[in-house]
Formats: sequence, structure tokens, C-alpha cells
Amino acid sequence: MNDVARGGVVLCVGLSIAFGAIYFPRALSDFDGTASNNSSLSFSDREVAGGNGIVTDQEAVYEARAIIPLNAKYRVVTGSGLKNATYLTLTFVDSWYRYFLMPRRPAVDGRWIVCYGCDVSKLGGPYTIIWQDDDGISIGRLQ
Amino acid sequence: MNAHAIAGLVALNLLLLAVGVSILFALRGWASWGQLLRLSGVAYLLGVAATGVVWTFELVVGIPFGFPAIIGTGAILALLAVPVGYRLGHRLPRLPRLRVKPELPRLSLVSAVFAALTVVYLEGAFRAARLAGLYEFDAWAFWVPKAKAIYYFGGFDQQFFRELINQAYPPLVPVLEAAAFYFMGAPDVVTLHLQFWFLLVGFVGAVVGLLSGRVSPVFVWPPLLLMLVAPHVGGHFYHPTADFLLDEFFAVAALLIALWLIDRKDWQLVAAGLLLAAAMSTKREGYAFAASAIVAALVVTTRERRSAWPKLIAIGLAAAATTVPWRVLLAVRHLGGGGPEAGGTGLFSNLDRAWPSLRLALSTVFDYHLWLVVTPLAVVAIVAAFAAGARTLPLYTTLVYVFAVIAFTYSTWAFPSLGISKKPALNPIVRLSGEVVLLTPALVPLLLARAWRRAPQPVGDT
Repeated sequence: MNDVARGGVVLCVGLSIAFGAIYFPRALSDFDGTASNNSSLSFSDREVAGGNGIVTDQEAVYEARAIIPLNAKYRVVTGSGLKNATYLTLTFVDSWYRYFLMPRRPAVDGRWIVCYGCDVSKLGGPYTIIWQDDDGISIGRLQ
Repeated sequence: MNAHAIAGLVALNLLLLAVGVSILFALRGWASWGQLLRLSGVAYLLGVAATGVVWTFELVVGIPFGFPAIIGTGAILALLAVPVGYRLGHRLPRLPRLRVKPELPRLSLVSAVFAALTVVYLEGAFRAARLAGLYEFDAWAFWVPKAKAIYYFGGFDQQFFRELINQAYPPLVPVLEAAAFYFMGAPDVVTLHLQFWFLLVGFVGAVVGLLSGRVSPVFVWPPLLLMLVAPHVGGHFYHPTADFLLDEFFAVAALLIALWLIDRKDWQLVAAGLLLAAAMSTKREGYAFAASAIVAALVVTTRERRSAWPKLIAIGLAAAATTVPWRVLLAVRHLGGGGPEAGGTGLFSNLDRAWPSLRLALSTVFDYHLWLVVTPLAVVAIVAAFAAGARTLPLYTTLVYVFAVIAFTYSTWAFPSLGISKKPALNPIVRLSGEVVLLTPALVPLLLARAWRRAPQPVGDT
């Protein structure tokens, strides 16, 4: 049995060294690739990251952060008027803005609006648009 | 991302290391400064575990989180630990004189080569992590938002901790991330990835430090490097989520329990209990993982149950007790406890998921494209140790692995909404299976050493 045991030990160490030798350069190469991809991104691409597949317009998230006061309440309202949406946009845009706009608080009665193709007539009051793009995204405030 | 943020993270991790060193002094002390250097990885993880658990408790009872709480907690832990160490008879070794060559751990050629490779690996990992964006759904959907909420509002904000998904998930990782935000000077979600690089470095240091000196470096380094180069490890360790930290805490805790089975030194068990407490405060799976290690140790100590079981049970209960305040907070706020969708008798109404769940668990643990041959390596090491006549260690390791597979199976079986799939969006099984993979470089070297020398290894100073 000792031969079996020692054979097992040799097999373990051999396998570890062999696969380690093969995959070590690959791991370093993967790290290099990841590092170069990350550094080639713009600051905003890196900061928005996962949101790039959701928000459709990066400028909108920065405008929202610039326009909505830190202590204000806001809501993200979606609708059918949005152009160029991804399949993730309508499902996740609310939760992504919740993460990005902190410490601003989302609230169903928020006076500040992040409108993603929303029906402005259903917002509950006169809506003053402060920023908008051509895709149907706007940021503004209810009077 | 800037140098200021990185410097902040360095400062935070030095604080955690300092707390951990003081806890190590309380638990065991050190005979030489070289020995402290060797054990600095485990000291660091103990620091992360202790401060994380205490910060969480402070937040639960409403102590505002900020620099005073972060640094004050570290200082209090250190100030409490040092007198305990002195009371237990631990003393600092003499400081090396300037003209005298300081005592450092001796490196064999094998250690030197593999240590150099590991440093190169970690340097590459650092570069991959330092400018990483937040892409993972779990990270931006709740882990990091919870951390931002703690950072901005100084506590478990009622609104965000109610509205964010997975409210019942334990909060150690968001608390640690919030501390990182304070030290970076801003909620820098890009540089935050580096905090998880520090944790990986600590894990590697802990495994090497606990095993070197008692196990040949030929048995320590190759399995460790194999685990590091596994595709899923390199691509995911730096994600600001809880999975890898849970695995790191648990693997080192399981290693300390294995060492306790050999040495029966109480400090090993207490340290393991601290890490298990942190694991339970990191993810709900931590309860299952901790139970698996404790039960496995209970089984293999049946013959010495009068002396061993009270200690093992006490450590397990004490570790679980540290999570009670968080569970109370969840109950007070009427937040879901996060139990399984189909636990208990619900399993019987989903019997058709049992076999596919087990098959998924096994195929994930053995998935070459994720983990290379890490798990088969553990199987061979267990067989070799059994063949050499060893019983305690291989049985303990076998039970921990079997319990892990049972836990993974349960995680799919008891949640019918999860797909029978390895796709991360459908099932977290891949993330879960990291437990087994990080456990392997921690336990396999001990098995190999026992298999190579039929007689038990002489007890080292660990």
C-alpha cells in the first residue's frame, strides 16, 4: 500500500507542476489582456462598466448625477418612447440608477425624474426638462 | 483610480494586519520575528475576520460607521488582545540588533522558485484588478450599493437595506467595502477591486505560513499554484462580491481545524472559530460550510469525544452566536430571513430535481474549464493518504468535500427557481464550488505529507 500511497503523491505533485506550468503563462496572459482592456477604456466606460449595457446613453447618467441634488428624491420612469434600448434596459435601468446615484434616494413620489421614454403626461404634474437626448431619455423636475 | 486611493487601501490593510498580529499574540505569540513574518498571512485574515465581525455588530446596534469607529475598533481589539497574550504567558522575542543579521524564514530552492512565481502571478493579478470596472450583476445590484449606503449614511440605512435585493445576505463584505471607501476617500468602485487582491494575498500567505516548516515545500507550493492559475480563480477573485472571501475564510479555518486534529493546540481551534464566524457573516453558505468542518471534525474525533467534542461544539456555537445580532436586526425590520424556497418537506415535492442537482454539483466541482484538475488532485491525495494507513486527516478531508457537494446539491434542489445550469445568471453553483477549490491547496499538502511518510509528521510549531 505504501507504493500506492507514494505513487499517488508523485501523481499529485506531477499533475500540479505539469498543469501549473501549462496554465501559468496563460494566467499571466489573461491578466495582461484584462489589464490592457481595462486601461484602454475611458474613465466613464470604466466607471459605468456594467451599466453600459443598460443605460443606452452614458451622458444621461452623468447628467443625472450633476443635475439631481445629493439630498433629493428621484424616480426612474420607463415607457415605450425609448429608442435604442437594449434588452436589459427596461428591466434593470431602475436598479442601476439606484446604485449609481447614491446617496440620492429613489422614491415613488420623487419630484426629480429620470425619464426613459416615459409618458410625461402621467408623471403627476408639469414636467420641466433640464436635459434630454434623442433617444427619449430626459432628466427634469416636476413643478 | 489614483495613487491616493491605493495608498488608502494599503493603510486599511495595514490596520487589519496590525489587529490580526495582536490577536495572534493573544492566541499563540511567536518565538521569533521570522515566525511572525511566516504567520503574517493568517494574522491578516484574523484581523479581517475580527474587525469585520465587530464592525458588523457595531452597525447592528447603531454605532455610526466612520473613521472613529473603524480605527477605534481596531485599536480596542488590539488593546484587548495584547494583555490577554501577556496573561497567557506570551512574550515578544528580543528585537534583532542592528548589526546582527535578522532571523528570517529559510527558503529552500523549491520554495524560492515557487514563491517567485507566486509573486509574478500576484503582480499580474494586481494589474488586472486595479482598473477593473463593476460588471457583475450581484456587485452593482446589491453588494456595492449596500457598501455605498453604509458609507453615505453611516449605518444599515432602512430604505436601501430594505429595497436592495438579497436583504438577508450577511453584511461583512459591504462593511469591509465601506471601510475601504473611507480609506480611499471616496466610493471608488474601480480601485475597490484591489481590496480583494489584498485578501487573496492574505489567503496565499496564510496557507503557506501555516504549512511551511511542517510540510515539504514540494507538497505546499505546486497545489497552491495550480489553484491560482485555474481559469475561474484568475478571472474572478477580485470581484467585489462575497464568494471568494467566504472561500478564503473557510479554507484557512478548515486547515486550522485539520492542524488542531494533529496538534491539539487550542489556539488553532480558536482561530478557526474566528474565521468561521467571519465566514458566516460573509454569506449564508458560511453556516453550511462551518457546520461541515465542525461535523467532520466531530466524526473523526469520536474516540476522543470527551476531550474533543466540547471544544469543537463550543467553537461552532460561539462562531454562530456572533451572527445572532444581524439575524435579530433582520427580524426586527421584518426582512426575509433568506431561507430556501423549498426547504424541509418542500424537497420532497421537488424530488425530480434531486439527481440533476447532484449531477450539476459534481460536474461543476470537477469542471476542467473552471478549475483544471484541482478537485481530482484532492481525490488522489485522499486515496494516497488512506493507502498509507492514515485515517484522521483523509477522513476529515473526505467528509468536508462530501458535505460540500451535498450543500451544493441542496442549493439547487431547494431553490426551484434556479436553473439546472452553470450559467451564473441562472445558478450560483460555480461561485459556490470555489469552496472546494480553495480548500484543496490548504488540505492536500497535509495529506501528501502523511502519504509520503507512513509515520505521522513530527508536530511543528504551528
